[in-house]
Amino acid sequence: MNNVIECNNLTHYYGQKLVYENLNIHVKEGSILGLLGKNGAGKTTTINILNGFLQPRSGECLIYGENTQKLPPETKGRIGFLIEGHIQYAFMDIHQIEKFYSGFYPNWNNEPYWELMSKLKVTPSQKISTMSCGQRSQVALGLILAQDPDLLILDDFSMGLDPGYRRLFIDYLRAYAKSENKTIFTTSHIISDMERLIDDVLIMDYNRVLAQCPVHEFMQNFKQFNFTLLNGGVDLSKEKFVSNLEKVNNEVELYTYESEEFVKKFLDDNGVEMKDFKKIDMNLEDAFIGLTGKY
Amino acid sequence: MLKSMIYKEWLKIRWFLIGAAILGLFIIAYMFMNVQRSITFQGANAVWYNILFLNKMIFGIMKYVPLLIGIGIGVAQYFPETVNKRIKLTFHLPLFENRALMMMLSVGMICLLLTYLLHFMVFWMLSNYYFAHEITVASLITITPWFLSGLAAYFLVGLIVLEPVWKYRILYAFAAAMFVPLYLKSGMIGAYGPINIPLALLTVLISVSLLFSAYRFRKGEM
Repeated sequence: MNNVIECNNLTHYYGQKLVYENLNIHVKEGSILGLLGKNGAGKTTTINILNGFLQPRSGECLIYGENTQKLPPETKGRIGFLIEGHIQYAFMDIHQIEKFYSGFYPNWNNEPYWELMSKLKVTPSQKISTMSCGQRSQVALGLILAQDPDLLILDDFSMGLDPGYRRLFIDYLRAYAKSENKTIFTTSHIISDMERLIDDVLIMDYNRVLAQCPVHEFMQNFKQFNFTLLNGGVDLSKEKFVSNLEKVNNEVELYTYESEEFVKKFLDDNGVEMKDFKKIDMNLEDAFIGLTGKY
Repeated sequence: MLKSMIYKEWLKIRWFLIGAAILGLFIIAYMFMNVQRSITFQGANAVWYNILFLNKMIFGIMKYVPLLIGIGIGVAQYFPETVNKRIKLTFHLPLFENRALMMMLSVGMICLLLTYLLHFMVFWMLSNYYFAHEITVASLITITPWFLSGLAAYFLVGLIVLEPVWKYRILYAFAAAMFVPLYLKSGMIGAYGPINIPLALLTVLISVSLLFSAYRFRKGEM
């Protein structure tokens, strides 16, 4: 399967502040990749580099083999882009904006757009600026569907949406992407939404990538074990197999890629006395917090 | 694509443009009503005397109108692109970025020039009705730099508004405030005759200055 997006050795700084160093991202054709990270981890920076709005300090990003700093119009026509906050030309109404964009894309198909618009309770001449965030999200999504791009880049699509609109957005998007073999690169603050949508996950922390793999593989391999220490002075956080450790008094939450047997044996071999050892079921949000830490 | 781009730019500037065109016509009409009144009450000789020998500027009220129209159209056109960094949408269109910007610039400039042409022609016709050909020509030479000032201001507004860093916006605005008055130095009627063509060339030179701000935006200056 071909890579639609390839970022090689991407390094970027804001002034003296390192955002990331030698970041490599590969997104295969037909897959949905979710880029997760805390605020300031570099999600929007990556989106901006992908769209050619930011020149990285070094390294390069390719989309369909073209450098994103100099994307030719034909390649840009294959990319649908959703800006954080569902930003659109707010001085237009839903008819004007459809008319405007239809002139740019030869495969423009306004059917899905009007289907979505029919669900909105907006008047035909209502300006986008006067719509709610949820309504604006449907306008932005409808325009992308009408454009019929091969690659969709979505920057924090869930921002400002209530649960109903988020679910609507995700269900529409996933059904569309899978039926049409579209590739999606997306970020979101709401991790639980991502679980319904994505195939692959890329988790970033400040300056580094913590995980990049299929989401089911990540959920299968990454584990949480809780136990109570009987000798409180033990520090397990520096151990190599520990991805993250949260400790309140003697209650420990240990996150690791190792098996339950491995962890128990390690504790036993090192004379760590504990009780109430149990494996905790996690959803993607729990796993994300477990991996990146609460702070 | 061009049609779509014209449509978008038109949606942004149409009300301001129509309002400015009408306001300009009212101001020209008002000026010549004053001329008519002076001719009626003082006689044509007195009006001519004032213009030819006292160098009295009877259409001074119009001096800053093209400038204000140029600034207004520039703001109406470029400001909405900067709200929430909407210019990203324009850069994402399947066009080369500079081509998209030049399309925007051309639409705004043509609308501005058409408005100016309307005002210029009405001024010319009314002036021809009331004054001798020589006075009309001298008057047109006098008002030409005023229109050029509006055009220059329109281009500089593009540079200032699209600039992503506030510090530089202020710097450009300061430079523009120093530069634009060159077009508006008071002088005798027809005094700008020798310099109108160099001024026009200078205006053409600054016409693409917004490309620089847009380039800085695309490189991620913030």
